Amino acid sequence: MSAADNKRLIETIFAKIAAGDRAAFIDSLADDVTMRVTGQNSWSQTFRGKDALLRDLYGYLGTLLAEGRRTVPQRLIADGDQVVVEAVGEMRTKAGVPYNNDYCLIYRLRDGKIVEIREYLDSALCERVLGPYPAARTQIAG
Amino acid sequence: MTASENKAIVQQVFDELANGNSAPLLESLTEDFRFVITGTSKWSRSYEGKAVVIAELFAPLRDRIQGRIRTVPVRLIAEGDLVVVEAHGRNVTRNGRTYNNTYCNVLRLEDGKISEWMEYCDTALVDAVLGDPQETTQR
Repeated sequence: MSAADNKRLIETIFAKIAAGDRAAFIDSLADDVTMRVTGQNSWSQTFRGKDALLRDLYGYLGTLLAEGRRTVPQRLIADGDQVVVEAVGEMRTKAGVPYNNDYCLIYRLRDGKIVEIREYLDSALCERVLGPYPAARTQIAG
Repeated sequence: MTASENKAIVQQVFDELANGNSAPLLESLTEDFRFVITGTSKWSRSYEGKAVVIAELFAPLRDRIQGRIRTVPVRLIAEGDLVVVEAHGRNVTRNGRTYNNTYCNVLRLEDGKISEWMEYCDTALVDAVLGDPQETTQR
């Protein structure tokens, strides 16, 4: 897959997420995907494997955030097997507090599947609105 | 300029920043250069114009860091006029606190000069270690 193919795939995934369809994203995750939330805050964890990522990160986020959460891409930059997405979140907590984070997400692809994600985000906002990532889950995420 | 030419320029700038030499960076900025620290930290805003960036961002930062500011590039990703630099800071504050932030910088180039820098970093660490840019440091 060329950089342009990878970019098109990620564009499609984000368009579907924006329309409320997360299935294409989940389908495109490799079984051995790793996701690293960068930094030194409580959310700075590496989630290893699709099951762990869906359970320990997205599953946990699903318990905090209201339905209909959106991540709107602003710019995509593709080079080789990497696609960078600058994005803005449009979310609310279940209690109704706005949660609009700034993201820079970097996807590494292999044969049309996402094998690695590195996330940079406004951790100050994340910890303030969502609270710290629970220490008990940290054991699982490692 | 092609993406690979822009990448080479940014690589040179960051190879020097890794050694604490900011001269090539300063020489590479356009006069209307804009530096945006994304998010909601005390340092998060758009700094508009090279002179404003130097006076309101680089100077207070230099005031807080012991010796030269070091930013080590880890990976560069480029397309068109944009170059993304993932980087690690390797710094100590004047109060003796370690300050090793993790950065994703999205740079825009125009005719070989850097015109825009969007910075994504661990903003919780920024607030915890650097405090408020308006305040003078405790020495």
